[in-house]
Amino acid sequence: MRILLTLLGKETRALFSSSIAYVVIAVFLLLMGYTFTAFLFLNRAATLVHIFFQAAVLFLLIVPVLTMRQFAEERKTGTLELLLTASVREINLVLAKFLACMAVNAVMLVLSLTYALVLQAYGEPDWGPIYSGYLGLALFTASLVALGLPISALTTNQIVAATVALGLFLGLWMIDALGSLLPYPFDNIVMSVSLLVHFTPFATGAIYVSDVGFFVSFILLGLFLGVRTLARR
Amino acid sequence: MLPVLIADRLSKRYGPRLAVDDVSFAVEAGEIIGLLGPNGSGKTTVLRLLTGYLHPSSGTAHIAGFDVVEAGLAARRYVGYVPEDVPLYSHMRVDEFLTFMGRLKGLSGRPLRDGVASVCQRLHLSQVRSTAIGNLSRGYRQRVAIAQALLNNPPLLLLDEPTNGLDPHQIIEMRDLIRALAATHTILVTSHILSEIERIAHRVAILLDGRLRGVQALGGHEAVQRLRLTVRGLPQTGVQACLHAVPEVTDVVVVGVADGECAEYLVQGHGLHVAESLVTALVAHGFGVREIRPERANLETLFLQLTRTEAPACASS
Repeated sequence: MRILLTLLGKETRALFSSSIAYVVIAVFLLLMGYTFTAFLFLNRAATLVHIFFQAAVLFLLIVPVLTMRQFAEERKTGTLELLLTASVREINLVLAKFLACMAVNAVMLVLSLTYALVLQAYGEPDWGPIYSGYLGLALFTASLVALGLPISALTTNQIVAATVALGLFLGLWMIDALGSLLPYPFDNIVMSVSLLVHFTPFATGAIYVSDVGFFVSFILLGLFLGVRTLARR
Repeated sequence: MLPVLIADRLSKRYGPRLAVDDVSFAVEAGEIIGLLGPNGSGKTTVLRLLTGYLHPSSGTAHIAGFDVVEAGLAARRYVGYVPEDVPLYSHMRVDEFLTFMGRLKGLSGRPLRDGVASVCQRLHLSQVRSTAIGNLSRGYRQRVAIAQALLNNPPLLLLDEPTNGLDPHQIIEMRDLIRALAATHTILVTSHILSEIERIAHRVAILLDGRLRGVQALGGHEAVQRLRLTVRGLPQTGVQACLHAVPEVTDVVVVGVADGECAEYLVQGHGLHVAESLVTALVAHGFGVREIRPERANLETLFLQLTRTEAPACASS
């Protein structure tokens, strides 16, 4: 645990001491603020459903930027060799990077809570869908980070890592459209891996165990792949 | 006593290419062994196999009795490793980096603080402790890399091309540092430069195309010693007979006559005390000993001998 905390401290400092975290957070809040304001003035409805979908799409684009350097840079500069020959277990390294990326995502999500507070100040929002929406976003971003890490561990090129992750995320987001074209049972199989299909209930105020299980499985699979990729020597 | 490190028939295959082929050797406590070979001969791969960073395709390696694959974490506690090209976190300060690496090696609290202070003092890093690593010269970066390897005071140090990229002044400093470290650590050092290994190591293992061509003692640590003597007394006056009479001596060669009364001899003998026996015998017979020094094996000759067998194969192909 002490080694995990040491690595987590280093990873968090590395992210927040570079401009990446601040640029990502600023762009996220700028776009989210624009959407929130525009939607509120146009519809005058005290809901964040549209905000949750917009945030999910932004995370599809932002998370590859956060994860691309995590292992690719360590591998390229050789520091990965230094860490793995200093009695560090692969799982600690993967968890530290996962939690550090999630810390940046958490900052974005916490700051976006101001929109909910604005709704509370000027209207009477239903807090149930807001809670479920944030739970959904937390699980959704964690899934993306967990999947982005093994992709970063496969290459020394950060651009390649980001591009592959972005392609995979967008594919998993939109794959439900393909499902509607396929016959039974393939349509169900394809729909069941769609991020959008599993995220929609959270954003609209419904929490299903199957959706929570999907995202948790996704996170565990991503972390497992990250560990296996590092252990493959 | 068990050797600190045992490599037993280590092989590493990358697809069809065999990067390391059936390499076996052992390193005894307290010695400096040099792994010598041209660029691309597999030296770094061997070190990565020994540290557990790479897993062998076949064969085993043991450090302090622990298998580096099966008991990797336990084995790595006995190793301080300095990879080639000194990978460090440039944005960290020296003390921040050493504290970070110390924590990863299981140190905390006072032992960690003392360990960082100790390696900084030992490697003359005290004046740059607060400097960002990215702002350090190559020589200092190399010292920082060695400092992190020494933090938990491991008995075995693995140094991959430690003089790479250093200027002549820094190379001399690094050489002295490695010799000083040898007083308390067993060291395996790689280099592609013959003269570097010759100056540092007690033994040399020569690697070519991933295969170990031989392990040879250099200088004073081998059982067979070669000594060069300058004696006041010509061969015909009985010096040669006197030298032959020493029980440890196996061979005497007259190198030449220096002036009218002195001659130079090359003597080969067994045991650590052969020099003492030679001087005692010569003085007892009334010959003056002007100079006596160990004759180190010429590594270049050795390297050419060991790699000569490759020439016909290359020519025929």
